[in-house]
Amino acid sequence: MTTRAMTGSCLVVGIGDPARGDDGVGLAVARAVADRALPGVYVCVHRDPTALMDLWAGRDLVVVVDAVRSGAVPGTVHRLAVGVGETPLPFPAWAASGRGTHAFGLAAVVELARALGRLPEHLVVVGVEAASFGCGYPLSTEVLAAVPVAAEQVVEEVRAHVRR
Amino acid sequence: MNHKLTDGGRVLRVGALARVEGEGAMHVAFDGADVADVQLRIYEPPRFYEAFLRGRAHTEPPDITARICGICPVAYQTSACWAVEDACGVGVPEPVRLMRRLLYCGEWIESHALHVFLLHAPDFLGYDGAIEMAADHADVVELGLRLKKAGNTLMEVVGGRSVHPVNVRVGGFYRFPSRTELGRLRPVLERALDDALVAVGLVSGFDFPDFEQPHEYLSLRADHGYPIEAGTEVVTSTGRSFPVSQFAQQIEETHVAHSNALHARLAGSDAPYVVGPLARYTLNSDRLSGVAREAARGAGLGERCRNPFRSIVVRAVEIVEACHEALAIIDGWADGSPPRVEVPPRAGEGYGASEAPRGTLFHRYVLDGAGIIQDAQIVPPTSQNQAAVEADLRTMAAAWSGLDDHALQHRCEQAIRSYDPCISCATHFLDLTVERS
Repeated sequence: MTTRAMTGSCLVVGIGDPARGDDGVGLAVARAVADRALPGVYVCVHRDPTALMDLWAGRDLVVVVDAVRSGAVPGTVHRLAVGVGETPLPFPAWAASGRGTHAFGLAAVVELARALGRLPEHLVVVGVEAASFGCGYPLSTEVLAAVPVAAEQVVEEVRAHVRR
Repeated sequence: MNHKLTDGGRVLRVGALARVEGEGAMHVAFDGADVADVQLRIYEPPRFYEAFLRGRAHTEPPDITARICGICPVAYQTSACWAVEDACGVGVPEPVRLMRRLLYCGEWIESHALHVFLLHAPDFLGYDGAIEMAADHADVVELGLRLKKAGNTLMEVVGGRSVHPVNVRVGGFYRFPSRTELGRLRPVLERALDDALVAVGLVSGFDFPDFEQPHEYLSLRADHGYPIEAGTEVVTSTGRSFPVSQFAQQIEETHVAHSNALHARLAGSDAPYVVGPLARYTLNSDRLSGVAREAARGAGLGERCRNPFRSIVVRAVEIVEACHEALAIIDGWADGSPPRVEVPPRAGEGYGASEAPRGTLFHRYVLDGAGIIQDAQIVPPTSQNQAAVEADLRTMAAAWSGLDDHALQHRCEQAIRSYDPCISCATHFLDLTVERS
């Protein structure tokens, strides 16, 4: 895990694996946000979503950036509010990652945290539609182009939260 | 799940079998009440690790083979180090062995806590998965998450990170954590030991189906305690014993048409054998620390355990052992030892084995004079257990053929999960098909 910027009530986490093509987009977006050095915003990257529950404890706003696959055009930036009181993620989104393997995916961790009462009040997932997860490949052209767009979306989430 | 009738027979098709690592399928065919066929079909593609290790330097197997698995990378790193060092005729000093054992304890705690609480406990408490279970048993899930985190923390301090540790190298470690750094782990591990003891009590109260498996058990046995990072010999429940260097001769790997993972048999035997917690415990319960032995006794375990459903109890006891061992190593640690020895290459063949959370993991390497790998062999636990899983399913399906399809499916899935199979290691979801005619 690498961290930049200072501690604060807002946490931005990029999730992914840089060795698996577009799966690294969460890390790229987090780094772009960290480069803005926003006051009071703690930015980190992580490969393992199961660490999220500890990372986000005590934070007012948490923005998690990850690659998603929904069938949309690659590079599409999605926004999902999934914090306390929000609609749980649909079963298919977490079923596979929460049951099928030794690793828990992001959606499974969000729903496990909801069941345990450990969700942050405000939790937003900024997802970037991925094109491919090939081993050893860099970000695809479409996803690379979406990095500043997704970073801007994250910054806007933080600004909107500060205004609240 | 969908049911359909074919030619008067009955076929039950069950969706992805959950909470196992990897892609495979289980097929059970009935002819009346008789079980006609059972096949564990591992269709995850072969991964060719042994092939692409050829031509690499003798220093590379710990980092390359760690990528075989995200849940037990330390097992691969450790077996690889032992095998390369053996090929080069180098023994490592005791502090290196102890630090390997300490790192390995972290992996056992993390891997077993994940399996006991998030993958296997839902079977016994009647839930489809950990998320559904969390709504009613938040304390149980929190206990598991806390234990898993303790294991991860230990791996981070010793290994540099918890997934695919970066501090391991042939000959030892890049650096040893200091006694002060290790000392900071003490409160975490003390809490983990307390949690593990609670875990043993909790899981021992589950309802276990009556089932005893007849298979030969195989495990490492060590002079220095319960076998974790190494063993001095390989032993079995029928009294065989042989040095790790004989593993490749004593274990015959064969390909079967329905699986991409090799099956394994003991030389001269057609019967399956089993590696993993039950085998380890049955062959080494006398080597457990006092606290773990006491916990096992309190949980109703004898000196041997042959019920695969009770493997969850043995895993919990092994978490106790790992926490106790980790604390003992930390308390006895003295700064100042060199973290590694040089391992100059030489032509030769070397063998290494360690007890991965799922069972004995063997590596063999043949090096040329420059240390370039000429041949590599990796025998992971899950492939060794395939035949036994099939045999158990055959027995269970016959004994429980009167159960309705849903109940039978649940029992079979539970039985498969009791092996904590890591199909990725052996060669990702399991489909279960029951066919009745």
